[in-house]
Amino acid sequence: MATSLRLYLTCIRNTLEASLCLQNFPCQEVERHNKPEVEMKTSPELLLNSILICRNEAEKCLIETSINSLRISLKVKQADELENILTKKFLRFLSMRAEAFQVLRRKPVQGYDISFLITNFHCEEMQKRKLIDFIVQFMEDIEKEISELKMSVNTRGRLVATEFLKQFI
Amino acid sequence: MAAVEVHQFAQCITCHAWSADRSMIALCPNNNEVHIYRLSQDKWEKVHVLQKHDQIVCGIDWSARSNRIVTASHDRNSYVWNQEGSEWVPTLVILRLNRAALCVQWSPKENKFAVGSGAKTVCICYYEQDNNWWVSKLIRKRHDSSVTSVAWHPNNILLATTSTDGKCRVFSTFIKGVDTRDSKAGSVSDSKFGEQIVQLDLSFSWAFGVKWSPSGNTLAYVGHNSMIYFVDDVGPSPLAQNVAFRDLPLRDVLFVSEKMVIGVGFDCNPMVFAADERGIWSFIRFLGERKSTLSGSRYSSQFSEAFGKFYGQSKSGASNDGIEPSRSRGGIHENCISCIMSLTESGSSRKTRFSTSGLDGKVVVWDLENQEDLSGYL
Repeated sequence: MATSLRLYLTCIRNTLEASLCLQNFPCQEVERHNKPEVEMKTSPELLLNSILICRNEAEKCLIETSINSLRISLKVKQADELENILTKKFLRFLSMRAEAFQVLRRKPVQGYDISFLITNFHCEEMQKRKLIDFIVQFMEDIEKEISELKMSVNTRGRLVATEFLKQFI
Repeated sequence: MAAVEVHQFAQCITCHAWSADRSMIALCPNNNEVHIYRLSQDKWEKVHVLQKHDQIVCGIDWSARSNRIVTASHDRNSYVWNQEGSEWVPTLVILRLNRAALCVQWSPKENKFAVGSGAKTVCICYYEQDNNWWVSKLIRKRHDSSVTSVAWHPNNILLATTSTDGKCRVFSTFIKGVDTRDSKAGSVSDSKFGEQIVQLDLSFSWAFGVKWSPSGNTLAYVGHNSMIYFVDDVGPSPLAQNVAFRDLPLRDVLFVSEKMVIGVGFDCNPMVFAADERGIWSFIRFLGERKSTLSGSRYSSQFSEAFGKFYGQSKSGASNDGIEPSRSRGGIHENCISCIMSLTESGSSRKTRFSTSGLDGKVVVWDLENQEDLSGYL
C-alpha cells in the first residue's frame, strides 16, 4: 500500500476515534422522537464542526459529528471514465443493500460517492473499534475492488476484441 | 486491582442506583423497564421489574432514608416508586414537560427532586399533602438547550445544572412551605425560587456530569472538549480552574473526597483528578490498569519479549504495510461509562468505594482502599 494512502487512512481512523463519542439524545424539537441530529440539523448547538480530510483533489472524506450521530462521506478516486462508471455502479449496488451493512446510508451526501451514518444505537450494539476498523477496511477494499474490476473489464475487452478480429485474419 | 467486583447485568445499562444498605441495585437495561436486583448468597437475583414507562429510562435515583425510587424517561414522565410490602407502587409525577426528561436527582433532605429535560427546563418536584400528589415547579427560559445533568448542593436549596449549550448554572430552588429559611444557609436562603445565582460559561462544547463536593464548596463538571472544570466559591465571584486532558471526553464525575474526583466517560476507564495543597487540580492517572495487547506479550522473559516485539514488527513490515487494527482498550469496561455512583454508607465521611456502569452492560465496583499513591488525597 502506498504511504500516502496509509497516512490518509490513519488520519481518518484517529479522527473517527475522537469523534465517535455518541450518546442517546432525544429530539429537542419534536416530542417523543429520537433522530440523528446530524441529519436533522435543527439545533445548531448540537452539531460539532465538520472535518474534511483530503488526500488529493479527487479523494476526500468528510466527517460530520453531532451529539448522537456521526456521518462520514467518502469520495473515491476516479481517474477516467471507466473508473467513474465502475465506482458509480459498484457503490450503487452497495447502497441498495444498505440495511445489510447497518451503518451505510442509502443515499450519499451531495458531492460524495458513499456515506455512512453511525448513531448512538450502533455504538451501543457494536464495539467502537470494530466499527472504525470496518470503515477503514471498507475504504482500503474499495480501492482494490475498483482496480480489480477495471482490470477484469480491460482483460475482457481485449479478449473480446481479439476474438472478434480473428475472423478478419 | 482497584476493581473489586464486576457484574454483567444486561446488554447495555443506561443508569443505575443503589439502595441505602447497598444490598439492592436498580438499573435500566437500555429499555423502558427498571430492573431491581438483590444480593442473596453472593448472587444477584432479579427481584422486581418496574414497568410503567413507555420509552427508555435515562435517570434513576434511590433515596437513602425514605427508600423511594424516582425514575425519569424519554417519554416525558417521571414516577416515584414506593415500596409497599413486596411491591413497588408507582405515583405519576405531573412534570408538565413536553419533551423528554433526561436526568433526575433527589435533594439531600429527600423532600424535593430535580428533573432536567430536553424542553430546556428544570422541574423541581415536591410532595403536596393536600392533593396526595407530586407537583412540579419549572425553571423556564434560562437554558438554551437540553439540561443534561442536575446536582443538589448539600444545603438543599442550590441546584447546579449543565446543559448542551455548554453552560453550567446554579439556581436557588427555595419553595415556600417545603423549605424553611434558616440562618445557617446564609444569604442563599433569601433568594426566590428559580433565581439564577451564577452562570458559568467555561466550556465551548456541551457540558455534562455536574457534582458538588461533599461540603458544597467546590463544583465540578465536564465539557465535551475533553476538559473538566472545578469551581470554588460559587457565588458572585467564583474561582474556576480548567483542566484539559489528552483522552476522550468524560460523561460523569464523582467527588470521593474534597480533594479527589473520579471522572468516567468515553475512555472506558475511570480517571482520577486531585487537588494539591495549594488547591490546584490536575489529572493523576487512570484507575483501571491497561493491559498491553502486543503480540509479543506471550514471551516469558524480558529479553525475549523485546526480541518478540522486534520480530513481530519486522514480520508485519514484511507481510504488508497495512493499517494496524486499533488496539482494544484492555480495561474492564468495553464501552462508554455513562454513570458513576458512590457506594459509601451515608454515615462515614470517607468515600472509598464507588460503582460505574456503562453501555457494555457491566456494573463495576471500585475500591480505593489499597491505592497507596491516592490515599493522600482521601
